[in-house]
Amino acid sequence: MNAYTKSHVLLSAENIHLQYGEKVILRDINFQIRNVHREGVHQGQVVALIGRSGLGKTQLFKVLSGLVPPTLGTVRIGSDQHPVKAGQVGIVPQNYILFQHRTVYQNLRIGLDHSGVELNDAEKKRIIEDYAATFELIDHLKKYPAQLSGGQRQRVSIIQQVLTGNRFILLDEPFSGLDILMIDKVIELLLKVSTLHEDNTLIVVSHDIENAAAVSDTVWLMGTEEGKAGAIIRKEYDLCEMGLAWKPDIRTDPKFVGLIDEIRKGL
Amino acid sequence: MNKIKSIFEPLRTINPRTMLLLIVAEAAVALIAWQLSGGGLIPTPDKVVGAIGRIFTMPDFIDNLFASLTLTVKGMVISILIALVISYLSIVPFFQPITRFIVKCRYLTLTGLIFLFTLLTQNGHQLKISLLIFGIVPFFVTSLLSVIDGINKQEYELCTTLRMNSWKTLWEVIIIGRLDQVFEVMRQNFAIAWLMITSVEGLSMSEGGLGVMLIKANKYVQLDVVFGLLVIIFILGMAFDYILGLFRHWLFPYTKLQTR
Repeated sequence: MNAYTKSHVLLSAENIHLQYGEKVILRDINFQIRNVHREGVHQGQVVALIGRSGLGKTQLFKVLSGLVPPTLGTVRIGSDQHPVKAGQVGIVPQNYILFQHRTVYQNLRIGLDHSGVELNDAEKKRIIEDYAATFELIDHLKKYPAQLSGGQRQRVSIIQQVLTGNRFILLDEPFSGLDILMIDKVIELLLKVSTLHEDNTLIVVSHDIENAAAVSDTVWLMGTEEGKAGAIIRKEYDLCEMGLAWKPDIRTDPKFVGLIDEIRKGL
Repeated sequence: MNKIKSIFEPLRTINPRTMLLLIVAEAAVALIAWQLSGGGLIPTPDKVVGAIGRIFTMPDFIDNLFASLTLTVKGMVISILIALVISYLSIVPFFQPITRFIVKCRYLTLTGLIFLFTLLTQNGHQLKISLLIFGIVPFFVTSLLSVIDGINKQEYELCTTLRMNSWKTLWEVIIIGRLDQVFEVMRQNFAIAWLMITSVEGLSMSEGGLGVMLIKANKYVQLDVVFGLLVIIFILGMAFDYILGLFRHWLFPYTKLQTR
């Protein structure tokens, strides 16, 4: 079930350093996300960035998306590893920002309008309706965001970014404030998005260790070093290699339980 | 007993029926107090009601009413257009000093500028419109800028992640996205225009208007007519406020919705 290979680098960070005035936020951040291939499955990549609140996870998130330029270092994306530019990485913020004056359909349409693909109105409508059906939003297309539940807004927000054509999507605390049933639905949703395309890469920023790890193939543990300012990635767990990725019932696996415990102690 | 207690409790939400009863009761108490305390210089409510009846039968009332309404609407439309341009330009750094100056113009008194405006304009109508615009625009701009300042930074980030350029972002987030709030600002500031109209009408009386009627009634110490006119102006103002509120919900249905 877990036969896989990893090929070229899709996203990398080289010596990322972020500082505001004297305050060092991020230091020496280095990592690579490689393309994962699984036989018979369109398998994207899901990476969990786990760390305590106030560490600078959201700042790293903004650096990765090109919204905030790092003080030092470069983030590169794509097969050609070009430096990231704002607009090449999608963001789903914790509060699922959408255009409140637009209906769900219009919000999704805006994503598609900026995808760079030439499509006529009928084609756009068909694509939006296809996605809406897949993600259980077909009955809500005429509604305004204020009429949706938190989970529905989250789905619209994710699909909006997918329709823009962004292969890299960063999700800020997607499990925050959700009950256990909703969390399972979000995990299902993330897996669905990650398997839409081979290159789809989701980076889940969370302090919910168990759920973030359950959906991911890689976990980065963010933390600080004693006596040194700024957060670093202290450890990387390759869940594919550990045989802990892509398993629906992973939470009951003793090895996974042990890993969660190890990560918790490492925070 | 509990119901009575609840209306004195801070932050207590009461049902619309109770609120309506409260409004009616308090208005009745105010009217009774007015009736009992009046009678000297201040005309009592029954005299004011009688005066309102007489005002409606005055041959020039409708003309005066339309003169005031036309002037207000004209002043409002021009002011909102000028204020919108100034506010949208405020996001371009070059124009920010100008915008800041206009906002501070709220503290300038119109009285000192009447002479200057009289020199600059060609007739009484232009003078009134100019003063009205000059009086309203700084308040409009202040309110509109606070709308723009209140926009969540994440909305701009959303536009960036959706690959929208800065002009499209301006259009989607600030212009289209805040049109409902512009309408609300217009509704709130309509009160200022309505308040100012009677003052500026006194500067050039040839065109008439409710302000002219007020000045004439004051001149001849017809205080019941003055109060009658004030009541008419007050009721018209409230009616406009209500109609503009209805328009806002009709034009921008999403404003009625609450985020769950």
